[in-house]
Amino acid sequence: MKLRTVPFGLLLLYMLSGGGHRAQAADLERGRDVFATECAECHSVREGKNKKGPTLFAIVGRKAGAVADATYSDPLKASGITWTPDRIDAYVSNPRKAVPGGKMKYDGLASSTERADLLAYLGTLK
Amino acid sequence: MRSFEPPRRGAAFALSLGPSLRQLRTLALGLVGLVAGLPSAHAVPSFARQTGQDCAACHVGAYGPQLTPYGVKFKIGGYTDSDGKGGKVPISAMIVASFNQTAKNLPEKPEHGSVNRNLAMDEASLFLAGKLSDKIGAFIQATYDGVGRTTALDQADIRAVHTTEIAGKETTFGLSFHNNPGVQDPFNSMTVWGFPYTSSAFGFGMGDAATIINGALEQRVTGLSAYTFWNDLVYAEIGTYRSLPVTMQSRLGLGKADDIGRLGSGTAYWRLALFQDFKKQAFNVGVFGLNTSLQPDRSVPGSNRYNDLGVDASYQFLGTREHVFTANGSYIRERQTRNQMFANGEADNQKGRLNEMRVGASYHFLQTWGATVGRFTTRGTRDASLYSEGYANGSPNTSGYIFQADWTPWGKENSWGAPWANLRLGAQYTMYTRYNGAKSNYDGEGRDAKDNNTLFIFAWTSF
Repeated sequence: MKLRTVPFGLLLLYMLSGGGHRAQAADLERGRDVFATECAECHSVREGKNKKGPTLFAIVGRKAGAVADATYSDPLKASGITWTPDRIDAYVSNPRKAVPGGKMKYDGLASSTERADLLAYLGTLK
Repeated sequence: MRSFEPPRRGAAFALSLGPSLRQLRTLALGLVGLVAGLPSAHAVPSFARQTGQDCAACHVGAYGPQLTPYGVKFKIGGYTDSDGKGGKVPISAMIVASFNQTAKNLPEKPEHGSVNRNLAMDEASLFLAGKLSDKIGAFIQATYDGVGRTTALDQADIRAVHTTEIAGKETTFGLSFHNNPGVQDPFNSMTVWGFPYTSSAFGFGMGDAATIINGALEQRVTGLSAYTFWNDLVYAEIGTYRSLPVTMQSRLGLGKADDIGRLGSGTAYWRLALFQDFKKQAFNVGVFGLNTSLQPDRSVPGSNRYNDLGVDASYQFLGTREHVFTANGSYIRERQTRNQMFANGEADNQKGRLNEMRVGASYHFLQTWGATVGRFTTRGTRDASLYSEGYANGSPNTSGYIFQADWTPWGKENSWGAPWANLRLGAQYTMYTRYNGAKSNYDGEGRDAKDNNTLFIFAWTSF
């Protein structure tokens, strides 16, 4: 019993001392790395900077196909998607399934952990 | 930018010219670089403007020629990928300038240079590079050679592509019309694209002997190849070549003097590779070959046959692109059947071999600071007549190391001038452990391999 209580106490102490915040920061850092590895060739996080794909600045909550001066496939423009975290997660997981006929040449990010980190990072871009 | 160690024309000529011409070439050893050392380029800022990408998206270290997986796919896609916006003009330009110093003065004073410590504007090039239609793209380079003081057609690669699905997987079919076997290859490990990516016009290259697939036919031929790329995994290509008529070579500014002769009608090029892009890392491994015959004198019957077989591999650690490591390697085994040379007494042996190994590894920090080391060896069977003047022991063997440090301040998303300009400044040192058959006195006049050690400091810009 004592052996179980001690780790729980340490976990509680860790969270109260701000450990949870540090864990969140670590997620953001990993999310930034995931972005650099998976997305940065085609997307920028700078406001108004479109590469082959549109800027991902303020992506969360944005309607699909809404960035001026960016080019989109017709299926994406017609999708009616609003980029909630869930929709982004589904799209990044398998773009071709989420938007059939879309032009993004990306096979998808299989790791749910990495997608969560990426979403945490994208959520800070506003 | 995509540039590479220039044509080692000396090699093919060593196998095809008569003794008197070979002797002349050997005596002018210091001038070899003038025809064989000119850098050429591939991939230019017009591609960046067309795609909306940074140079760093396609190139390791934000400058050519090493392609990232994205760059590999862009090339296979026929230079047609774009950001979907019109109004892009597929024109670019490039200038390379350098300072060169060899350990010992060149054997002969170059026509346009000094026996040592040469400062030169190596080349200025103009490119038509980019998408011409949804399914046709081109890379065509015209170059003013600032050392040789000539202007000519340089690399050319025109492509038509079509993408469809086979077995539910994306499949690209393409045709490439080009002027140099291997220049159309999308992988960094093919010798055409091997390290060093630029080198001194006054230097000594990798020795005088080289396989025929390694630049000997450059610009003197036209080639047509068909390729396919399935599921971002399997690349296969087959093609054939014909030598350009002498009059056409002259019209293109190449001159008649360096005509390679006539290629046999059965010339075949083939290539098979596996490629994997894991985003954090990528690799390719493959085999390739060129089978051809060459009639050195178009007016006199008689030809020599060359069968080249190569294996190559490449690995890239890309990570977050902060630390990028690459390793490339190739090995070519050439079987020569020297019917014409043997009949004319230019070779003692009717059959012979020439093998080349090229390996290189690079590290780039922040896609800006780079260091590369390369190892090259050329080994062949001895032939006292074929490898006579300028060679020791009747041997073509050459080996050495190349070290390079470079700085590429632009070419990233937030860089000055992006996507209109790029710049690389570098210092390169080539160290020979053996040259044309020996470590010492390879030319019979007291010149050692280490006397050819070359320091090459360059500025390379494109816009």
